Amino acid sequence: MAYLTGVGLTAFGKHPGKGPVDLMEEAALDALADSGLPRDAIDGLISGYAMTYPHLMMGAVMCERLGIRPHHAHQAQCGGATGAMAIVLARHLIAAGACRHVLVLGGENRLTGQSRDDSVKALATVGHPEHEVPLGASIPAYYALLAARYLHETGATEAELAELAVLMRRHAMDHPGAQLRKPLTVEDVMASKPVSTPLKFGDCCPISDGGAAVIVSVEPLSKAAIRLAGWGEAHTHQHVSEIPDDLGLGAKIAAAQAFDIAGRTPADMRLLGLYDSFTPTLAIFLEALGFAAPGGAGRAAREGLFAKDGPLPLNLHGGLLSYGHPGVAGFMAHVVEVVRQMRGEAGSRQVADAPLAYCHADGGVLSSHVGFVLERVA
Amino acid sequence: MSGVALFRCRSCGHHWQFRRALCPACAEADPEPVEAEGHGTVWSVTVVHRAPTPELDVPSGYGIALVTLDEGARVMARAPTELATGMRVLVHARDGLLFASRA
Repeated sequence: MAYLTGVGLTAFGKHPGKGPVDLMEEAALDALADSGLPRDAIDGLISGYAMTYPHLMMGAVMCERLGIRPHHAHQAQCGGATGAMAIVLARHLIAAGACRHVLVLGGENRLTGQSRDDSVKALATVGHPEHEVPLGASIPAYYALLAARYLHETGATEAELAELAVLMRRHAMDHPGAQLRKPLTVEDVMASKPVSTPLKFGDCCPISDGGAAVIVSVEPLSKAAIRLAGWGEAHTHQHVSEIPDDLGLGAKIAAAQAFDIAGRTPADMRLLGLYDSFTPTLAIFLEALGFAAPGGAGRAAREGLFAKDGPLPLNLHGGLLSYGHPGVAGFMAHVVEVVRQMRGEAGSRQVADAPLAYCHADGGVLSSHVGFVLERVA
Repeated sequence: MSGVALFRCRSCGHHWQFRRALCPACAEADPEPVEAEGHGTVWSVTVVHRAPTPELDVPSGYGIALVTLDEGARVMARAPTELATGMRVLVHARDGLLFASRA
C-alpha cells in the first residue's frame, strides 16, 4: 500500500536567481511541512533532471542539499512523464520494503536559466539525431504533426482544440501561483501567431521556472488518506516517426492497466489531472481514455464537462498550458492540485467532492505513458 | 532511384527506417538494407514557423511531413508548404536528408 502524504509546489513563472536545486529544495520543504514528517523520516528520494543544470546525480545533490541520507536516491529521466513515473516507482520501492517515505522532486529554472532558443533547441533533441533533428523539427513540430493527424482523422477543428486552452486559462485565473492568468478566448487563440501549423502560440504551454514535490508513504499520515490504487505504463516508441497508427494507443495501454489494478473504471473518476503540453495532447488523452467522444474533447470542454462544477473537473490549477511548464515539475503540479482537491484544501477552486481521480502524463511525443488512479480511503 | 535507405525483414517482409538488429515486427535478425522506390502518401504535415534555431527560420515557414512509403515504412521529410494529409508524394534523399514533393 502506498499513499500520497505530502505535496509541495512553488508558483510557476519567473524565479530569477534561483536554480533547479533551489526550486526543488523549496518544494521539498513545502511537502515535508505538508506531510508533518520530520526530515529524517525520508528514506528514499527520486529527483528529476534539469536541462539548465545537467548533472549525472541530481538525486545525491538533493540529498546533500536537504541534509538527508536515505536508503535509496537517484535521478529519473523520462521527459514529461518523469514525475508521474517517479511516484509509481516510489510505490514499488515501498512495496519491495526498501523505503517507507519517498520524496519525489522536480524543479527547474527553464525560463530564466537559459535563452528561449536554448530551451527549444535542447527540447528538439528528443527527435532522432539522424532522421528528424537535421530536418529542423522541434517539439512543437512533432506535436503539430500529431495535431494535424488528429484533426484529419476526427474532423475536429482548430477552434475546438482552442477550447481546451481557454478552459485551462479559466482554471488558472483562480490560482495565484499560475504563470498565465489573463482571460483568454477561442478568438485569442485562433489569432495568436502560428508556431507550427496547426498549432498556434495559444495551443502551446509556456516555458517556466518552478518546483514541485510529492511524498509517497507506506502509511497515511495526519491528512486524508490518498491511496495510489492503480498504476500503468506504456512505452510504444520514442520518435514520432515510429508512433503507432493509433495516436492514443500508449495512453490506452497504461490506463487500462491502472484501472485494472485499481478495480475501477474511467466512469468512476470524479477528477482528472492530464498532461497538456499542447491542446492536441489533452484532446488525444481525453478521447483515448474514453472521457470524450472521438474528436469531441474540445466540444465537451465548451459544454462544461471538465469545468470545476462539471462531472469531470480537469486540471483545476490551469495545467501546463496556463499554470506553466518547468520540465519535471510541470506534471507534478497536476498531482499536487489533485491531492489538494481530494483532501478538500483547494479553496476557491474546490470541487464538490473527489474521492477518485485519474492522473496521466506522457514523455517525448506520446512516447512514454504513466497513468495512475488515486483513491481517498479515509 | 530515391536514395531513401530502409531495412527489410528477410522473414516477414516488414520495412522500416531506423537502424536496428532485429525486425520490430517479428524479431528476425539480419535485416536486409534496401532502397525505397520513393512513392508514398502524406500521413501528416506541418509548416514550421518557429524554427528550433534562429538560422533555420524562414519568413513563410518550411514544411515537415511524415510520409507512409508504399513499402509500409513511415519517414520524416522536408516538404513544400502546400502539402496536405493524404496527398501522394515522391520522397528522395539529398545530402543524407529526405525531401518530399508532389507526385
